[in-house]
Amino acid sequence: MIESKHKKISYNILLLPGFMIYASVIIFPILMSLVLGFTKWKHFRLVGFTGLENYRDILMDPMFLQALWHNIQIMLISVLGQIPLGILLAYILYRKLVKGSRFFEMMIFLPITISSVVVALLWNRIFSPVGIYTNLVRILTDNKDYVVRIFENPHYAMVPILFVLLWMHTSLYMVMFLANMQRLPNSMLEAASIDGASELKIFFRLIIPALSGVIFTSSILAISGSLKSFDLVFAMTGGGPVNYTSVMSLYLYKHTFTYNNYGYGSAVSVIIVALSVGLILLSRAAYDRYQRKYD
Amino acid sequence: MKRIAMVWVILSVMSLPVLANGSQDSEMAEDGTITLTTYFQIDPANPQSEGYNETVKAFEAAHPEIKIEYEYASGEAFHQKFQAMAASGQMPDIFTTYVGKRTAYITETGMVMDLNSYLTDSFKSSFNPAAWEPQGANGEIFTIPPSMAVCHVFYANTAILDELGLEFPESYSELLSQVDTIRNAGYYPVSMGNKDQWVVNSWLLSALVDRTGGKEWFTDAKKGDASFTDAPFVNALKIVDEMTKKNVFSPGVNQMSNTEADQEFYQQKSVYLIDAGWRTSAMVSILTPEQQDAVYMGVFPAIAGEATHGSSAAVPSEGFGISAKLEGTAKADAAWKFIEFFNGAEGAAIRLKYGEIPTYKLDYTKFDMAGLQKQYAEFSTTNPMGYIIDAHMDGEGMGQLNPDIQAMMFGQLSPEDVAARYETWVAANDSNRGN
Repeated sequence: MIESKHKKISYNILLLPGFMIYASVIIFPILMSLVLGFTKWKHFRLVGFTGLENYRDILMDPMFLQALWHNIQIMLISVLGQIPLGILLAYILYRKLVKGSRFFEMMIFLPITISSVVVALLWNRIFSPVGIYTNLVRILTDNKDYVVRIFENPHYAMVPILFVLLWMHTSLYMVMFLANMQRLPNSMLEAASIDGASELKIFFRLIIPALSGVIFTSSILAISGSLKSFDLVFAMTGGGPVNYTSVMSLYLYKHTFTYNNYGYGSAVSVIIVALSVGLILLSRAAYDRYQRKYD
Repeated sequence: MKRIAMVWVILSVMSLPVLANGSQDSEMAEDGTITLTTYFQIDPANPQSEGYNETVKAFEAAHPEIKIEYEYASGEAFHQKFQAMAASGQMPDIFTTYVGKRTAYITETGMVMDLNSYLTDSFKSSFNPAAWEPQGANGEIFTIPPSMAVCHVFYANTAILDELGLEFPESYSELLSQVDTIRNAGYYPVSMGNKDQWVVNSWLLSALVDRTGGKEWFTDAKKGDASFTDAPFVNALKIVDEMTKKNVFSPGVNQMSNTEADQEFYQQKSVYLIDAGWRTSAMVSILTPEQQDAVYMGVFPAIAGEATHGSSAAVPSEGFGISAKLEGTAKADAAWKFIEFFNGAEGAAIRLKYGEIPTYKLDYTKFDMAGLQKQYAEFSTTNPMGYIIDAHMDGEGMGQLNPDIQAMMFGQLSPEDVAARYETWVAANDSNRGN
């Protein structure tokens, strides 16, 4: 009894440094943001407590709602675009449905190895009004006024960003799925083939259920990553033109670090965290339901 | 327990000399040298930063008794770290300070020393009077602007104008009438890159507002005695709107970065360029002598019924401030010596070589300057200068105005809408209106 008590104390002492680091860099900032979200600041000085005023202002600000909608678009392209495409590409490479699968594996994985900022600058250099693509079209069509107008369209300005995100991040999911597919027992697939199962049936009835855990993990990564998207959007468009490509983290950045509204910025961060947790819980529930179906 | 107490005592005794040395360091070393810490906004990519480097070397040679520890950053990175320094009270001894709202987080919170006690009348008289406009609510001077940042120049490529049989437009309507001729010849009329959203505001709208309303009207609008929905502001916006609709700008003006717009002009694809005055430094190093000779620096052509004639817009550029904590110490005197040297005769002469037009009055005939630099010096001293809107109004309001200007240029908002939305924001939030 005494020995087990001593063990407990020892474990706790060993855990303490790790817990303290975690508490100081994760728990404390979240709790602090929660408190700051109810305050108003000016020039680093606390002006006063404002209750829920910051939250009311944020949720009524059309710029925030527009940014939220853009994050939802990124989330949709991540969950419904990157993950399914990643599975499909991984399956094609796993089943060797194309020749030179090693080459394709490398080519598809390449974008994720490049920094987001470099990717953004690269795309800008191609499609800007003085970019290679724009100039090429101007020469070919003899239209000196040609520019890629989609960047100026209030409804579709996000499309180029979504496309770049799809191009960049699909490879990450592909590698995750491919690694997990390679762990599946060959005998299972051979048995299915001998029984005459088509490629589609193998994919939907064997592979997908076997990968459900990874799909769930990937969805969590995709959801949380989408809600805090910053680097690529910041470097590619800075949220412009107008606010056509603004996202929540850019909105937060502007209010916190450009306008020094720490209370307001903290409230935005709390909303982002709440949305992330809510959506992750929702996908957890969907996953549990799916698991029960197969159990 | 006894052991722990013993270790504690030993550590405390050992730390005493360190602490004592620390307090001595903060004022003056034993050999009489004073060490100053700094945090400056310096962009090494800017050709003018060489002027800063050479001035610093000259100061070190002239004042061996003052040792300066240099630390610098540029752009947003500078401001982020500086804000963190200010928030934590870890201010260096000398630091970059803006005249306008950009560093309001230190100038409006008592963190910067008022330099008025060092400013004698004879010292002040050797500078452009625009440098001494009050910077604080009580007439404080927090920094000496080393130069006036001229934010509006209507550059023209006279070689193309000659080729097309055109002349620099006298009036705005003449500019509009040139558009077809220029476009039919395969050129773009005006290059300007507004991707970063603030460019139209700082480099065109500010000058236009000065033309349509003048400084007095702007000051009234700032305080609330006039409104941004008044004719001067709306008319200035209408000109930007009309220029967009009549294809005066090169295509994709809101997708193009400022650097890309410059390149377009340098590559002789456009006839005019709207940019800042200090762009001449880059032009001197990028353009051939023949191309430089072809560049003319003018102001926006005359607008019918304008309140001010031939004006541009300028803002005193950022200089150096001293930490308020040093007030009355030897360190403050040493910091002042650095600021005085940097802005005074020696520093100004060095900086002039690298393309800056100092606020310190120099006899330019005594200096060997490139043609464009001479033009810039003449431009900044002969043209009346209006205010730059975002240097006077709250930065957060620019988050409303600048995207709205882009929306107007895309045809999503009218000039009246933009003005009304900005006035609503200013009335409810801007600190100039007592909010």
